[in-house]
Amino acid sequence: MDPDTLSKTFVEHYYNTFDTNRPALIGLYQEGSMLTFEGEKIKGAQAISNKLNGLGFQQCKHHISTVDCQPSGLLDSMIVFVSGNLQLPGEEHMLKFSQMFHLVPANGTYFVFNDIFRLNYA
Amino acid sequence: MALPGQKTPDNCPSFKLVIVGDGGTGKTTFVKRHLTGEFEKKYEPTIGVEVHPLDFFTNCGRIRFYCWDTAGQEKFGGLRDGYYIHGQCAIIMFDVTARLTYKNVPTWHRDLCRVCENIPIVLCGNKVDVKNRQVKAKQVTFHRKKNLQYYEISAKSNYNFEKPYLYLARKLAGDPNLHFVESPALAPPEVQIDIATQAALEAEIAQAQALPLPDDDDDAFDS
Repeated sequence: MDPDTLSKTFVEHYYNTFDTNRPALIGLYQEGSMLTFEGEKIKGAQAISNKLNGLGFQQCKHHISTVDCQPSGLLDSMIVFVSGNLQLPGEEHMLKFSQMFHLVPANGTYFVFNDIFRLNYA
Repeated sequence: MALPGQKTPDNCPSFKLVIVGDGGTGKTTFVKRHLTGEFEKKYEPTIGVEVHPLDFFTNCGRIRFYCWDTAGQEKFGGLRDGYYIHGQCAIIMFDVTARLTYKNVPTWHRDLCRVCENIPIVLCGNKVDVKNRQVKAKQVTFHRKKNLQYYEISAKSNYNFEKPYLYLARKLAGDPNLHFVESPALAPPEVQIDIATQAALEAEIAQAQALPLPDDDDDAFDS
């Protein structure tokens, strides 16, 4: 798969899982994975999963605006950068967000090695 | 602190009011009760905030609170400084039916005071219309340690809607005798609180004020 298709497929899978079955996201991370979520650093698949599942909202819907990717020479990994809008239950306005993933190949697939999430507002 | 396009009437003192507290405590519901504020609210997507102009009529004339309400960013963690900057008064909201939201009050207070020093603050315990409360009046002691005013409210029934604004207006005007001369138009109550329940709530709060403060230094509460 070419990098653009791969990253787009990954992004669709990631947010679809986030919106419909958040606990399953744990399978995309490994022990060495790191998430920086609104400035808070979290390390390891279990801790990352706890953070994402403990967020103060249940159903949500990610709307993707852009996906950019670059192959990274290191370990044949990939950098993916996403921007979009997030609809929360009970909120009238969508929140703008951006997120960066560093995907590293392992056992014939990819896992998320680095993940940085930010809401975009002043 | 109005948004561009929001014009403050002549001779009407106006103040930026920031409202903070955990997601789901009823901040937006509370702000939306005030109908003219709801009609004239404005959303600013770059800051991610909705600003409601809330007018009250006092014996000294009209006063306007520009009430800042988030679009839910607090559900992701703390809010950025831009939300607090130039805040002149504040409401910290928790939900008396969800213990964790009271436990987080000290964090909201700290974040607020880091940017806004020495502004009048009201602590509001919302949803007192709900039967199975998790936070009883006597467990609410944070405001006494930090010199805040405390009110129990029920946004859905309009119970005590005006109290926080009256307290803040008096502090901002420096006039403890200031009073409202007419009631703002409010959305009709969605639930009812009867007179007996109101009286019982008020008696409970009065009793709680008379109790000695727990001498533990941490701001958490145990039960």
